[in-house]
Amino acid sequence: MVLTLVIAPLLFVALAGVLQLGALRVAVARVRAAADLATLVAVNDQDDAELARSGSLRLSADAAEVAREYFARELELSSSLLDGGADAIAAAADVAAYPSAPAYDTRTGARYERPTVRIAAQVPVRTPVFGALVLRPVTTIEVLSVSSPR
Amino acid sequence: MPLLFSILEFGSALERWLAQDAATVQAARYAGELGGDTPELRRFVGDELRTAGIDPDAVRVDVAPSRVGWREPVRVSLSSAYPVSIPFLFSTTVPLRSSAISRGEVNR
Repeated sequence: MVLTLVIAPLLFVALAGVLQLGALRVAVARVRAAADLATLVAVNDQDDAELARSGSLRLSADAAEVAREYFARELELSSSLLDGGADAIAAAADVAAYPSAPAYDTRTGARYERPTVRIAAQVPVRTPVFGALVLRPVTTIEVLSVSSPR
Repeated sequence: MPLLFSILEFGSALERWLAQDAATVQAARYAGELGGDTPELRRFVGDELRTAGIDPDAVRVDVAPSRVGWREPVRVSLSSAYPVSIPFLFSTTVPLRSSAISRGEVNR
């Protein structure tokens, strides 16, 4: 009986921690997918005039804006997990479009051989159970997504 | 004992949620490519879910709008109920919802 009373709180804490870790993993997967889909949508929209004229792939002029818009749309679908507005998080993201190749990314140092859209963002998500366990109530997920057309 | 089962059951539910999320993202991407809700998309979703070990008949699929043109957003949502059973405590179902948005690529 005494042993049960001693161990039960520990098991409750372990259960809460496991659930919070699992929820955090879901949040990480969603944020990554949001950034991936946003960059994919942006690079799928090609400059048709340039494609018809020269046959080469070149990003649409509004690729960066499209990536940011869709990043916000995707994040909005998981708004209950976020610590902040989806629009504000997307607005603060570092979105870069490299319409022609080769190009160098000054943030990552990467060299792109094709037209590329890149999103680098910090996304704060709520982790209330961690907060109750004297850890951080908000965990920041860093995400980097890069897409190029083929 | 119930607490240990809770860890296992909810862990399993979260794993299923992740798998459903992944299938939803792929489905949204494909819906944009096809221009909306088509039999090919439904087959694709079914295959993705089966690959993840999820019964497609137990998952509701919504595509809105059902037909999109070039540059129009299309949203795919998957929802299901995962049964959770904790011995000596309770049995319930946990609703799992996943959504993703893509953009129409078909120039009609």
